[in-house]
Amino acid sequence: MSTVLQNFSNDLAAVGEQVLRSLVQVRNGKRGAGAGTIWHADGLIITNAHVVDGIRQGRTGDGALTVLLSDGRELPAYVLARDPEHDLAALRVDAQNLPTITLGDSRQLQAGQFVLCLGFPWGVTGGATSGIVIDAGAALPEVRDPHHEWIAASLHLRPGHSGGPMVDVQGRLVGINTMMNGPDVGVAVPVHVAKAFLKQAMAQMYTRV
Amino acid sequence: MSETLQTLSDAMSSLVEAAGPQIVRVEARGRMAASGVVWSSAGVIITSHHVVERDDNIKIGLADGSTVNATLVGRDPNTDLAVLKAEASNLTAATWVDANDLRVGHLMLALGRPGKTVQATLGIVSALGGAWRTQAGGDIDHYLQTDVVMYPGFSGGPLLDASGRVAGINSSSLVRGVSVAVPAATVKKAVETILAHGKMPRGYLGVGIQPVRLADALQQQLSQETGLMFMSVEADSPAAQGHLLQGDILVTLDGQPVRHVDELQTLLTGERVGKTVPARIVRSGQVQDLTVTIGQG
Repeated sequence: MSTVLQNFSNDLAAVGEQVLRSLVQVRNGKRGAGAGTIWHADGLIITNAHVVDGIRQGRTGDGALTVLLSDGRELPAYVLARDPEHDLAALRVDAQNLPTITLGDSRQLQAGQFVLCLGFPWGVTGGATSGIVIDAGAALPEVRDPHHEWIAASLHLRPGHSGGPMVDVQGRLVGINTMMNGPDVGVAVPVHVAKAFLKQAMAQMYTRV
Repeated sequence: MSETLQTLSDAMSSLVEAAGPQIVRVEARGRMAASGVVWSSAGVIITSHHVVERDDNIKIGLADGSTVNATLVGRDPNTDLAVLKAEASNLTAATWVDANDLRVGHLMLALGRPGKTVQATLGIVSALGGAWRTQAGGDIDHYLQTDVVMYPGFSGGPLLDASGRVAGINSSSLVRGVSVAVPAATVKKAVETILAHGKMPRGYLGVGIQPVRLADALQQQLSQETGLMFMSVEADSPAAQGHLLQGDILVTLDGQPVRHVDELQTLLTGERVGKTVPARIVRSGQVQDLTVTIGQG
């Protein structure tokens, strides 16, 4: 009996450790900090639009935005693209070989499934919270915005978790932590929505070049 | 890494999926719908009394996506339970587990269906205890408290144990601020009584009452500041047969003080129906002891 519990506890810790490498803190000048997740090894980071609220887009940004990597480096960052409607933003830092997160399939999420969220709750580095998926998809009756897809999970998101990863039990990214719906319910943007956002953002960039 | 976390996660989502057909949406109030549990394959649904705000035009959302009409069979406000009959058959009835088979620390899932899909939250049994009485005077067989999150619309839904059996009906209104479930034993009694009689039996006196302040000397003598004055006594009622009169002030019933209306209502439970109990009154400034046989309301 206790072996099962120990295994469970160790497994959860292992997932946390694995994900921590791809977790970054997004520092938005005086406006406080949020979290982000390394999407691509060449410096592409996904976070929430509200984490970089007030920061101008593009390389000529305000210079106020930096990203703190898990290896301790703090790099200047700029906003590549943002989508306030889905509360998503893509950031870029000048770096290579960053530890990326494995992407999961948020369309396959089921109520009852375990998930883990990481971020910087109240500024605490790598603060983790775990729980189960309450429901996922569009038209969750209790989430304010019924027009978009969400993941609602029974865990404790706090200020500073925003933009950080929600992962499944294999450490695969399934959502971007976005808001709390009361103290005991966390709401995330499904990773397939983030994928679509990045695809569109990249396509726009290519046409400009 | 072991397979434990993956196995556990898969087991929980499978449990939720398997329980899905037993959980229905209850549309019986203006705002957001609530949840209910299938009691019998013939369409008997159990839910929380406080989510059934209207007595008709009740709809039940089934797991297959269909919506059917339902009628209110009866309710027990004291234990916050209501029984509905859905116009459906061949439903999947829930299986139940007695609170005596649970222990503090057991994993529990709270499920609900406020929308189309089944939703779930996870917790453990936080506290288990013996019989208790709700503020509304309902007798509950076991105190069953968990730390599951009561998501909006979860009232009336089931609290499941790790084998998928229903340990109770979740209610957000029994005790504010903590997740307390009405245990299976209490649910069973209420459903069987409501199906047989349409309601829960309640004690009845046949009086109109008003709390009044007792004279200073009586406050000292009786160790209570207020009592309940009979503003009216119905003819041939249990109170009239017990020779209680208009203007009498009831101070205790069955040995219990009745300082407020709530305290008398709490005493008029089903099990006191038919019992002859002592009633202490103040009449013309004098304390008198009478007896009254509690009727059925």
